[in-house]
Amino acid sequence: MELDQDVPMEDAVELEPTLDEDPLSTTPSADYDSDVIFMNNDSANQQGMAKPTSLPQLSGSNISQLDQWIEHLSKCQPLSEESVKSLCKMAVDVLQFEENVQPVNVPVTICGDVHGQFHDLMELFKIGGPCPDTNYLFMGDYVDRGYYSVETVSYLVCMKVRYPNRITILRGNHESRQITQVYGFYDECLRKYGTSNVWKMFTDLFDYFPITALVDNKIFCLHGGLSPMIETIDQVRELNRIQEVPHEGPMCDLLWSDPDDRGGWGISPRGAGFTFGQDISEQFNHTNGLSLIARAHQLVMEGYSWSHQESVVTIFSAPNYCYRCGNQAAIMEVDEEHNRQFLQYDPSVRPGEPTVTRKTPDYFL
Amino acid sequence: MTEINLETIKPIPQNVDKSTNFTTPIKRILNESDIEKWLNSETFDEIFQFIQNLSVSVKGKDNTYPKPSNETIDSVLALLDEVDKVIENNPIKVDEHISRFGKIEFKDFYKELESKTSEIIKLHIPQVSQFDNDPCIELSQYFIESWGNAQRIDYGSGHELNFIAFLLILFKLDILQEQDYDLIVLRIFTNYMAIMRKLQKIYWLEPAGSHGVWGLDDYHFLPFLFGASQLSTHKHLKPKSIHDEDLVEMYYKKYMYFECIHFINSVKSSKLRWNSPMLDDISVVKTWSKVNEGMIKMYKVEVLSKLPIIQHFFFGEVLKAPEGLSNKLDTTVKHIHTNWGDCCGIKIPSAIGAAEINKFKPMPFD
Repeated sequence: MELDQDVPMEDAVELEPTLDEDPLSTTPSADYDSDVIFMNNDSANQQGMAKPTSLPQLSGSNISQLDQWIEHLSKCQPLSEESVKSLCKMAVDVLQFEENVQPVNVPVTICGDVHGQFHDLMELFKIGGPCPDTNYLFMGDYVDRGYYSVETVSYLVCMKVRYPNRITILRGNHESRQITQVYGFYDECLRKYGTSNVWKMFTDLFDYFPITALVDNKIFCLHGGLSPMIETIDQVRELNRIQEVPHEGPMCDLLWSDPDDRGGWGISPRGAGFTFGQDISEQFNHTNGLSLIARAHQLVMEGYSWSHQESVVTIFSAPNYCYRCGNQAAIMEVDEEHNRQFLQYDPSVRPGEPTVTRKTPDYFL
Repeated sequence: MTEINLETIKPIPQNVDKSTNFTTPIKRILNESDIEKWLNSETFDEIFQFIQNLSVSVKGKDNTYPKPSNETIDSVLALLDEVDKVIENNPIKVDEHISRFGKIEFKDFYKELESKTSEIIKLHIPQVSQFDNDPCIELSQYFIESWGNAQRIDYGSGHELNFIAFLLILFKLDILQEQDYDLIVLRIFTNYMAIMRKLQKIYWLEPAGSHGVWGLDDYHFLPFLFGASQLSTHKHLKPKSIHDEDLVEMYYKKYMYFECIHFINSVKSSKLRWNSPMLDDISVVKTWSKVNEGMIKMYKVEVLSKLPIIQHFFFGEVLKAPEGLSNKLDTTVKHIHTNWGDCCGIKIPSAIGAAEINKFKPMPFD
């Protein structure tokens, strides 16, 4: 399919816009998906949030461009470098207006790590229902380790820009410049595009991803876990998140920490974040009026795993992780009455041959 | 700087003084400028040359190469048998349906091995007592690091490098000899591999710092490097032969490279093209000697030059730290405690301290 039709992008702002910019509010738009579900006024007012007033409206040409990209990507074909550039600019316009604690309404389906397992992501949408008919909340780690990180993150970002009120994409610890250079996404971009430009564009975009979400004021969703420097959700709202994931501090912890059987705070064997015990989770949920912390970040064999007497749930959505772990994947549906249901699934059948052609690595030339 | 040479073994000094004051090795590499100094250091040259020597020594020799063993080789093999016994002492007890990956019994295995490392080295390699001071303080550190990380229950090429460092120290202490090179690979290293496979399978070790499908392998590097040298004179087996499952089945006990492919086929679903695109890419290289040369080049860049790996490497009196490193801090110590009130109550003692800690914090694992 021809991708690079010359869609005028003059309404796209630079990659690093300022937050008080209001670039698109006057753009006339007809068919923007205006079924607002996250702007729950009650919850927004209760939390005293500064409401984003300038969520950009999509123009008709942008919608058709996005639909074209989505169709292309759903065949597991990567976008051109130019298209990724346009997409990332559009995505900054959307994501910069999201909050550190992005409010999300029920019903919603909550998902964990994907790690470039594109075909399993398609399976996820089959199991959970297609987006935008089903609302989705992804808790990070779209890239690294899997074969199709580039296609996976491109697809999810396209969906985010196309249906901003239907899908929420949080940042995981792998949505980072430093980590992706070690765990595969950098290598993959280099291998598929010949340069690191696409890696640079996406890792610059990752800085804008929200770091947590709050489902109907009851379920606190984030990639890793709690931080000893964060007692209230309001403290998360005060963080400056638009930066590379730091080596330490509250933002780092939210993306890196793990629940543990031991009580209190512990040193994480990962070398970043902390481990936190049941006492910590219960106190946090009590202080913030929560029923549950939903997080991802750890492989669990059944795809989901309760800890801390059901005050924390881990969700992992990459089945047979790295082609070897034999684990199931899961997603968690939360309905209007806050009933929870886990849907488990196994790896999807891969098509016969990868689309990437063989290329001798430079060391072996 | 050492040049890559696929033909000749170059000497490595075996001149550790009898009166050497052996010390507990510590981590010293903290940032990219340290990496520069490391790459220009004697220790780097020796490790890189040692690996090349080992590679050259097994050119055209399969694992069953009929060369008689000797006392020193047998003593190291007996030491490795001890590791096997510690595995047997620590079977999986916990309900196997426990949800998390990585078996916690690995921590017990590691603890037991750690507690007896010095003792078993002394027992099986009595030559260490010819030194005025006990070199086990250094040998033990590299030996115990060779089996993975107990806290994270993981293993990667950095741990594999520690085993090479352990062997290199035995060599530099004049215990292993130049004529042993091929046996070091064909007997000792293959045995080490067999134990590692056991550990990986029994305790479900996580790959440490794995590039996922985009890396060479989840755990290992050197069996590919040595393995390609083994095959470099083979008349029929070609790099593309790794795709032929019958050939892999037939030759995996004889050739390390095929053992690696066999292992991947046995633990991973799908084909190499999907789960190991780099090995698939390398399989189009025409000759094994080209593969061998590429592996050596790649090892230098992707293992020996990578900060996330080398920042965990230890230096002592035998494998000396490069000169002029930026900082003498042991990275296991987060900061030097001050006398002010409640130093450790304040997370970061000063702005300078904060900057330093941030700068020197090792790359985290996931």
